[in-house]
Amino acid sequence: MKAGLLALPRAGPAARWRSAFPLPAVGLAVVLAFLSLYPTAMLFYGSLTTVPLGHAGKLSFANYVTAYTDPGTFTVLLDSFVFAFGASALSVLLALALAWVTVRTNAPLRSVFELTAIIPNILPPLLIAISWTLLLSPSVGLLNVMLRGIFHVAQGPLNIYSLPGLVFVEGLILTPLAFLIMSGALRNMDPALEESARTAGAGHWQVIRQVTLPLMRPAILAAATLNFVRALESFDTPAIIALPARIELFTTKIFREALAAYPPNYNLAATYGVSLLVVALIFVALYRRFTSRVEAFATITGRGYAPHAIDLGPWRFAGAAVAGAILILIVVLPVGMLFFISILPFYQVPTLETLQHATLVHYTRIFHNDRVYRALLHSLFLAISGASAAMLLASLIAYVTVKTKIAGRGVLEGLTFLPWAFPGTAFAIGLLWAYVNFPLPIYATIWILLIGYVTRFLPYGLRSVTSTIIQIHREMEEAAWTSGAGFLATFRRVLIPLMRPGLVAGWIVLATIFMREFSLSLFLYTPSSEPVGPLLYYLWLDGQAGSVGALGLLISVISAVLIVVARRYGRLDR
Amino acid sequence: MARAQLRIAACAAALLVIALTVAGPASHVTAVPLSLEDAARQEGKVVVYGSLESETMDAIQRAFTQKYGVSIDYWRGASNKVIDRALTEFRAGKPSFDVVLTNRGPMRLLKDEGMFIKYLSPQNANFPASTKDPDNVLSPIYRMALVGILYNTKLVKPEDAPKALEDFLSPKWRGKWVIPDPTQHTTTEQWLRNLEKLYGADWLPLVRKLAETRPIVVESFIPAVQKIISGEALAGITYVKYVRLYGKDGAPLDYVRLPKMLSEGHTAAISARAPHSNAAKLFENFLISREGMQIEADQGEFVTAKGIYPPIKDADKIHAIVFDELTSEEFKKWAAEFRPLFVAK
Repeated sequence: MKAGLLALPRAGPAARWRSAFPLPAVGLAVVLAFLSLYPTAMLFYGSLTTVPLGHAGKLSFANYVTAYTDPGTFTVLLDSFVFAFGASALSVLLALALAWVTVRTNAPLRSVFELTAIIPNILPPLLIAISWTLLLSPSVGLLNVMLRGIFHVAQGPLNIYSLPGLVFVEGLILTPLAFLIMSGALRNMDPALEESARTAGAGHWQVIRQVTLPLMRPAILAAATLNFVRALESFDTPAIIALPARIELFTTKIFREALAAYPPNYNLAATYGVSLLVVALIFVALYRRFTSRVEAFATITGRGYAPHAIDLGPWRFAGAAVAGAILILIVVLPVGMLFFISILPFYQVPTLETLQHATLVHYTRIFHNDRVYRALLHSLFLAISGASAAMLLASLIAYVTVKTKIAGRGVLEGLTFLPWAFPGTAFAIGLLWAYVNFPLPIYATIWILLIGYVTRFLPYGLRSVTSTIIQIHREMEEAAWTSGAGFLATFRRVLIPLMRPGLVAGWIVLATIFMREFSLSLFLYTPSSEPVGPLLYYLWLDGQAGSVGALGLLISVISAVLIVVARRYGRLDR
Repeated sequence: MARAQLRIAACAAALLVIALTVAGPASHVTAVPLSLEDAARQEGKVVVYGSLESETMDAIQRAFTQKYGVSIDYWRGASNKVIDRALTEFRAGKPSFDVVLTNRGPMRLLKDEGMFIKYLSPQNANFPASTKDPDNVLSPIYRMALVGILYNTKLVKPEDAPKALEDFLSPKWRGKWVIPDPTQHTTTEQWLRNLEKLYGADWLPLVRKLAETRPIVVESFIPAVQKIISGEALAGITYVKYVRLYGKDGAPLDYVRLPKMLSEGHTAAISARAPHSNAAKLFENFLISREGMQIEADQGEFVTAKGIYPPIKDADKIHAIVFDELTSEEFKKWAAEFRPLFVAK
């Protein structure tokens, strides 16, 4: 035995480092498992008991019986599917048109249209929905009034308080994400395939139909599935439009049972949450299948050329008009409406007459309101510390799953897969059950929000950091080990700086989401830890539409500043 | 690297500052108080959860803080949200509120949970016995929330406005009036149930017929009045006080002079685990004082102090009938009854 040991070569720095490595990996797995599995288990537990939140009770299937013997549940299921499918399809259609015009054609003003991908990210979706109610309310909506003037009809003609209305607004909200996926795919497409078709005598439309679209299919499917899940779990738009439309979706049902009903029934809410989770899991699994096929279809070859820009001739103005119309729907109309809401003395449709009473009183009011000030501080704290914590965790996970061959790293990946699928409302119910009797002061404090945000949105950060870490060659780490650096030193001084572009990009995405997060926060906050997402909703319900508009614009400005600062920080030390 | 470390240190310091601000100042050591006012001043603030409109509370806060140097942290929600939040926090063992104020029905439910202390404010003596809680846990009823029919004066001429609730059954009102969702808004649920006081046994058939006219359904009374102001609804069921609260900013509102209106008494109470118990008592004293009620009335509230009326035309002529309260079980039962009528397609 002794001889055998002696025969081994002396452990070098790298070997030392590696033998110490499983410890951080195990630690990570434990942290992740705790963050995502514990609330999941508690969501199931909540759905399987009949006692109120925070009490121990016996297991029973009574809630499932209640939920699934209620004929209303199947209407909810059907409406939720129609809503999510419609919104996803609309978003993909709009995004495809927009991406094609901006990436592949010579239409004028292409860089302006790219704003469609940026502006909506800093605008709380709740406010987009509110803006659209003022534009498309069947009685007083501004667009309806204009349409009535043109077509001389007595009513409508458009009605936002309907399933098509819900689909329309949610579709617009989801378009930017689909646009990012599509424009990326279009940009990376190998133009040689299209060139060959063209040389073979195919016209523009034939090339689009027979070459470009089939090549885009995986990206289209990926965007469509992802947006399907996002629509299914979205609560912002339904919170504003579904009730007057008398439509019940999964998320509004959960809200109604857990928060809006008296007395509240968190058990039934958890039961609907489990159903929503199961559906979302199936679709996220599909999404991952499609994205792995996107990679299989990858046509990036590293050769330095840009895809062929199609000369649309005189049609280029038509292309610009289509993209411009989409930009107007997604950015100009909602932002403009929000601005008007913020300067009108009370909530009304802006007309030339009402604008004469424009006032800055709502801005004065929010700047002198302690509750607003506190909520902004809470959200800033959550955005900055939450995004930083999530990116740190994401970079560690990305390192272990991409760069090492440690056994069980697949488990790590699986653990981050769960929050992908976890709808905000369902996850929130799980977190409530998980932390109500927890020995540390997390329940009813700002920490439950932080934990919720980090866990729920970790995959966003992971995605962005994984793409950077793949590109880092092992030599860099090996150079550090041989110079005697341990794991932490190597990670902090070599890998983190190299991963910076991905880290900053992920940080920006997370910070802007956290700054205005709504679905999760509404369930988890207390008045002493209120962030701006729920505050906007309650100001809205409190009749302070002007303050909602003013605060919404202020949040957008703060998010924009966060983006600029993060980008500058990302650039300086590169 | 040093620069980078400096920057990290700066970021960490900034985060720490934010975290400390978020966490709030450390609790101070208090000396033996001389009076309620001094003790309240040392506590510095009072945390109130309630359903009183924020604008009205702003007016109260200005006067209260100026007078006593104690600030008010106010969280507002519809009464069902207020009770749920207060109850959840209380059960979780760390309630952060000192005072709860909302309508008497839900307040009694919270009282039964043992969430409040007994407190006999020196102001109690000014109230008639009928407004008082025999256990001295809830404050006397200091304001009445009158539920009536409001309409948009720009879009509806007074002669075309409904004269009674039954007028909404006319086809011309179909889909054009608004009511809060009685399955989630407890006050509307109680209001519907109490229509029995005005319509006798015919109340439920009337409710069914009203639901058939497809009113616009919203979360609570404020979104309801918003829809009337914006013209999305021409009229609707909401609080009469909004004629003043929003009318003073120029909103085109008036109320239908119904012969009788249902109303709900509002009370306040102090948490049994109030972090600022003295400030809470001082606040309750002020809220139900003549001075406090005058401020509330100026914002449109119908207060119970003799001779104080809100600046709403004919306010002194309104005949109010007080709601009967529902038990938890009744809330459940009637929500289930109303759901297919008002929420289903």
